[in-house]
Amino acid sequence: MAKRKMGLVFAVVVLMVLVLGSGVISPAAEKKVYIVASDISWLPFEWKNEAGNYVGFELDVMREIAKLEGYRIEIKDVTWSSIIPGVEAGKYDIGASGVTITGKREEVVDFSEPYWKSDQAVLIRKDSGLNIITALSEGRTVGAQKGTTGADWIQINLIEKGVKVELKLYETYSLAVLDLVNENIDAVLQDEPASRASVAKEKAIEIAGIIVTGEEFGFLVKDGDPYGLLSKINEGMKKLHASGQWDKLVAKYFGE
Amino acid sequence: MWNSIPPLLKGTVVTLELTFLLLVVGLAVGIPLALGQVYGGRGLVLLSSIYEQIFRSIPALVLLFLFFFGSSFIGLNISAFLSAVLALGFRSSAYQSQIFRGAIQSIPQGQMTAARSLGMGKFQAIRHIILPQALRLSLPPWSNEYSSVVKDTSLAYAVGVIELVREGRYIIVRTFEPMIIYITIAVIYFILTYAGNKSLGYLEEKLKVPGFETKGRKE
Repeated sequence: MAKRKMGLVFAVVVLMVLVLGSGVISPAAEKKVYIVASDISWLPFEWKNEAGNYVGFELDVMREIAKLEGYRIEIKDVTWSSIIPGVEAGKYDIGASGVTITGKREEVVDFSEPYWKSDQAVLIRKDSGLNIITALSEGRTVGAQKGTTGADWIQINLIEKGVKVELKLYETYSLAVLDLVNENIDAVLQDEPASRASVAKEKAIEIAGIIVTGEEFGFLVKDGDPYGLLSKINEGMKKLHASGQWDKLVAKYFGE
Repeated sequence: MWNSIPPLLKGTVVTLELTFLLLVVGLAVGIPLALGQVYGGRGLVLLSSIYEQIFRSIPALVLLFLFFFGSSFIGLNISAFLSAVLALGFRSSAYQSQIFRGAIQSIPQGQMTAARSLGMGKFQAIRHIILPQALRLSLPPWSNEYSSVVKDTSLAYAVGVIELVREGRYIIVRTFEPMIIYITIAVIYFILTYAGNKSLGYLEEKLKVPGFETKGRKE
């Protein structure tokens, strides 16, 4: 009999050590550090540099605001498609990942004031001979990142209007670009700033044109803003604009 | 190229940690589960079969999401790493339980009867007669489980664990050099799997009882 208990005790102990050792079970009520979720694969908004640090425009803005408003943040890299579900579930407190403010998303999370305007850029291969019209016409395969406004645009403005393009969805934006370079798809639809960054890196592709969508990015928090973060974020952005720090960050990451 | 090695090695460490913990959870749950299925009363057999069936029939990715997001709904805020350890560990335990169950059942029933007739209790017999043989027999299929667990760890990225594949993606996003990075990652996984299987083969050789090995390896 003792032997069976040994096995059970062993299993329980192992699990306890795992749970306690990683010190991760904490009641959701006490928050000392707010977790910022971002899909860190989107230059120049967020990426991991050679030194192994998370850098990029939005992450710097988040850090500056936290400093100004007196709270601490921890930046977490998560998959794009789990940012909003994760914030909803209370896994993360803030989403900062170039998220366009849309009515549908506002139903489940709350957004800050918009901080960035973006349009969609159509990327093609230089040698493909396509232009912005032919790249998006019947028979073409167009790539976009899963769950992005670029993917929605193709769905709503092409496929649902009867233009027979094939939409291919990717987990990250860079994979879509790779597939374009590898000649598996004809075009990629993605926000303009990230497209500019990838054109600067990848010589075989260019921007065929811009689709003016007038999208606005916002930081997002859980519906109802349980920790009162939005007022702090909005206040912090105002302060950054007033001090000129905002423009410095824009110049640092977007050049021009 | 060379400066991509340190971050990849950092990712490898996380991959190894995950692998180790998954196997530990798998063993700690899998062996009692197998014993429950073979020797348990009706209730225990039913319970362990339900557990085993559930964890073997849900895709690993879905399990990961269920543990990670689902834990919030019951008020537990567990980290991505722990959800990965539990979700993939429990899954591995279900597979491992079948390895051990097969091994236990391959020991002739007469041995149990003989042990009992010598005055051993059921658990003494399991501990001293059945398990030492069954565990040896389990080693070859267990090395198979090891190989798949090593690679399953790459799924943990989906809930935000920064392991080998994700570290590789960071570099690709920055440099746009996918082939060289993915080949490096492939080589690292190969080394991990090969080294692990070699060590398990060595262990098998070390522990074998002459006359009772699964099958002599052709030298």
